[in-house]
Amino acid sequence: MAALNPFMFRQGNSLLHCLDTRCKLLWVCMTSLFILKADFLACFIFLGVLIVFIKQIQIGVKDTLWQLKLFLLFLGFIFLARALTIPGDPLVFFHGLTITRQGLNQGGLVALRFFLVMVTGLVFSATTRPASLKSAAQWFLKPIPFVPEKRAAVMISLALRFFPLILQQANETANAIDARCGNLQKNPIKRFVRLTLPLLKKTFLSADHLILAMEARCYGEDRTDPEFEPSGKERVFILYSLGFWLFLFFFSIRLPPVSLNYILVIREIYIDPDPVLL
Amino acid sequence: MTPPNQLKMTVYTALFVALIAMGAFIAIPLGPVPIVLQNLFVLLAAIILGPVWGLACVGIYLLIGLAGLPVFAGGTSGIGKLFGPTGGYLIAYLPAVFVTGALSKKLKNSMTGDVIAMVIGSIIVYAIGVPWLKIAFSLSWQKAVAVGMLPFLIGDGLKIAAAAFMGKKIRPLIR
Repeated sequence: MAALNPFMFRQGNSLLHCLDTRCKLLWVCMTSLFILKADFLACFIFLGVLIVFIKQIQIGVKDTLWQLKLFLLFLGFIFLARALTIPGDPLVFFHGLTITRQGLNQGGLVALRFFLVMVTGLVFSATTRPASLKSAAQWFLKPIPFVPEKRAAVMISLALRFFPLILQQANETANAIDARCGNLQKNPIKRFVRLTLPLLKKTFLSADHLILAMEARCYGEDRTDPEFEPSGKERVFILYSLGFWLFLFFFSIRLPPVSLNYILVIREIYIDPDPVLL
Repeated sequence: MTPPNQLKMTVYTALFVALIAMGAFIAIPLGPVPIVLQNLFVLLAAIILGPVWGLACVGIYLLIGLAGLPVFAGGTSGIGKLFGPTGGYLIAYLPAVFVTGALSKKLKNSMTGDVIAMVIGSIIVYAIGVPWLKIAFSLSWQKAVAVGMLPFLIGDGLKIAAAAFMGKKIRPLIR
C-alpha cells in the first residue's frame, strides 16, 4: 500500500510536522497562488526550499520519484507538446519537427510550475495527519453559513483516504485482467470498460464496508470539537513565507515578464497566426 | 447517531470526490483546456447521488483544490487555478451537477433520461466555461468556441455514453 501512495502521512518531528494544520493549509493556499505566477528564477529558488523540507521530512526521493513516474511522464508530455508547437527561434530540426527556444522555455516553465504544485501538495500531505486535516477543514468552514462543517470535514478526510484505496484497487484489477490475458485486447474502449466497471464495483463495495464499520461504532456528528496544538512558530512561518514570495516577485518584475509572454505565445498559437502586439 | 441514509450518502459523496480527483489527474494537454475524465465522474456523481449530494460532492472537490491539494486537471491546485482561464469550467460544475441530478431524478433515472440530463449538464459547463475563457484570453466568440468547446465534443459524447452505462450498472449497488 505504501508503495502505491507517495502522499501518505509520515511520522516525524520536522518544522512542518510541528506546525498547526490550519497554518499549513494557509501556506499551501498562498504558495499555490504564487507558483502559478512565478518565473524560472522564483521556481528554482522555491524548489531549493522544498528540497530542504523533503530532507527534513526524510522522504526517499528516489522511491517517491519512481512512484510518481506517471505524473512525471505527463509533465514530459506537456514539455514536449509546448517545445514542438510554440513558434520562435528554431534550435533543433528532426524529421520535420522543430524545437524552438521559446518552446523549450515555456514548456519548461509550465512543467516546472506543475511539478512544484504537486511537490508542495506532497510535502503537505506527508506531514499532516488526515484527522488533523479534517479538524482544520472544520475550523475553516465553521464561519460559513448554511455549510454543515462537521459533515463536510468528514467527507474531506474520507475522500483523502479513498485516494490510495482506489489506486490499490486499480492496480489489483489491472493485474487480474492481465492474468486473464486482457492485455491482448487492442480495442481501447473495451479495455477501458473492462477495467473501470470492476474497479467501480470494488470501490463501492469498500465504501459499503466502511459504512457498516461506521454504523457498528455508532458514528455521529455531535462529537467533541477537535483541539489544536499550535507550536508557536506559525505566525513567524507565515510571515517569512509571505516575505519570501514578495521578495521573489520584487526581483521578477525587474526581469522579462514571463507570465505575460506566456499569454502572448498562447494567443499566437491558438488564436492569431499573425504576431500580436500588446 | 447519524441516520443510516445520511451516513451512506456522506461516504458515497466522499468516494465520488476521490473519483473526480482521480479523473482530473489523467489529463491530456490539448490546447489551453486539457481533456480530462473529471467531467465523466462529475456527471456520474450527478445521476447517482442526485442534485443535493452531487452539489455537495463538487463543492467539496473544489474546496480541496482551493486548499492546495493537487486535485485539479493534471495534478494542479490553488485559488489561482480557479480564477485562471479554465476556472469557468470548474465553477460551472456546480450548477451543472445540480441541474443534471435534478433532471435525472425527474426523468425517473431511465437511461435515456440520464443521457438527456447529462447533455444539458454539459451545455451548462460550456455556457459558463467558454465565456470565461473568452474573457481570460480576450478572444472573439468564434475563437473561444473553437479552442474551448469544439475539440471536446466527440470526447464528451463518449463520456456521456460511458457515464450512462456505468450509472445503470452502479445504481443497484448503492440502494
